[in-house]
Amino acid sequence: MIAYPENNNDNTIQELQYQICRYEDQSAYKSLFFLLFPSLQNFAYSIIRSRTLAEEVASDVLLEVWVRRQKLKEISNLKMYLFVSVKNASMAKLKQENKHSRFSIEDLEVEFISDYSSPEQVAELHQLEIEVARAVKELPPSCKIIYKLAKEDRLKYKEIAELLNLSVKTIDHQLSIALKRIAQAIKKHTSKKNQR
Amino acid sequence: MCNDRIWTLLARKLSGEATPTELTELDILLSSSHIHQQSIKNIVHTWNSAHPQDEEFMEATYLAHIERMKDKGISIDAEANESYNEERKPKIFFSIKNLIVFSSLAILIIGTWYLVNASQTTTTENNVQANSLREVTTKKGNRTKIQLPDGSNVWLNAGSKINYSKNFEGKERVVFLNGEAFFDVVKNPQKPFIIHTSKIDIKVLGTQFNVKAYEEDNTTETSLIRGSVEIFLKNDPGKKFLLRPNEKLVLNNDKTIRNEIAKKQIRNKALTETSKLHVAIKSLSYFNDIENVESSWTRNILSFDDEPFSEVAKKMERWYNVNIFFKNEKWQNRYLSGSFENETLDQALAALKFTTGFKFNIEGDNVSIY
Repeated sequence: MIAYPENNNDNTIQELQYQICRYEDQSAYKSLFFLLFPSLQNFAYSIIRSRTLAEEVASDVLLEVWVRRQKLKEISNLKMYLFVSVKNASMAKLKQENKHSRFSIEDLEVEFISDYSSPEQVAELHQLEIEVARAVKELPPSCKIIYKLAKEDRLKYKEIAELLNLSVKTIDHQLSIALKRIAQAIKKHTSKKNQR
Repeated sequence: MCNDRIWTLLARKLSGEATPTELTELDILLSSSHIHQQSIKNIVHTWNSAHPQDEEFMEATYLAHIERMKDKGISIDAEANESYNEERKPKIFFSIKNLIVFSSLAILIIGTWYLVNASQTTTTENNVQANSLREVTTKKGNRTKIQLPDGSNVWLNAGSKINYSKNFEGKERVVFLNGEAFFDVVKNPQKPFIIHTSKIDIKVLGTQFNVKAYEEDNTTETSLIRGSVEIFLKNDPGKKFLLRPNEKLVLNNDKTIRNEIAKKQIRNKALTETSKLHVAIKSLSYFNDIENVESSWTRNILSFDDEPFSEVAKKMERWYNVNIFFKNEKWQNRYLSGSFENETLDQALAALKFTTGFKFNIEGDNVSIY
């Protein structure tokens, strides 16, 4: 028997959104939290670079979902709405702290949710997966955040473009660079192994 | 340069941004290029691998979040929430799943197809001369593949029936389906391909997709692998759905779902309006890089992804040609995931029993779950 990973997809989010709005369904709210909190906190962290503040921002943004549950039906793309809220809230926090207040991709500190794996999980990784992770870490900042938002947070090109103030064309291009570099790292790794 | 095109296309494919034409272009590029195949495989694998969520950590994070809400004077009762979940065992998504009852469906690529005893012994093909209508049926426990007059291929799952006219005369290519089939339709824009089922009609130009439309099932599902299809609801004419690749449309077959909703509502005090829950568009469920649950049956794999035992039982009844009875109703609502390739009925049930805890007894064609 194989266990399949749960699909984190937009349809699920839409269903949860409907449940929360229509039935004030607390378990749906909890599911939504489980689905989105790590991504939102992660994104907040990339902007404010403080775990405590990032957790606060993500929690505040998700709390509003419950407070305004009656109005949820007016939001057509909840996931995107929350990402944008996190971005704005994070920028506001930065401003409060009198740090830079302009959003700049080059300043993002990109982490992956998968970076938080437990030691047991890490021990199970193959050398190749570690190699891939390393290649990803070495990507240029803008490339890395785009790869992360597309892969881990499953955002669409258009959404990433909107969130980062970039063109869809840039997203398209940067993602192809990311994949190409990862492929090169894998190739290098396997040919090294074959020589041994 | 052409090398870079591969990466652009692969990125679009993984992100779900690729058009069908681009998917085809990618296939061609991949098969003709010197790109390191292992790299592609690993990238796809990495992309699709889910980062395991640490449940305990998330529970703790959620509790902290609820506490924060309370501090701010926002009430959401975490305790009640907890017991509510407890009662309905499996996962966090249970409540929604219960409502929508998705059995998973679907489809996929045509890989190798083993015609399990496929020959004429297992399928009956009647040529009704009078109206030149052809009929192909499969019994429970059998599956088969046929080719239609226009060259389109159809894989027919167990306990299914398909009708079509001998030469596809007329302006359209029309087939009638009862049960489940995977279609690989030859492109012909001049002559649309129409599939009629009891609940929906599907119109396509040329594409690959799976249709699951068993009368006895809770849902009618259309899963698209490639191309595009238009779906019309019989009980809501004028309403049209357009699917994109890797999406499936799940239509709840009225009676059962209304019961489910009624049950849920009593618990949740709300109302009985169902219109919005009637139809849902979902993503296909992949259980590795390329295999999705929906079409795995075309490769002789029986699989299900977090589906209620009651729906899984229907799949198993057709797959193994048996009758399954629940002596204890509570098992019907347990959610199961799994995939079986060469397992016998006994082995499959034993594996499910191991993770779920039910007992079973097989007597001839009858299986009791208790």
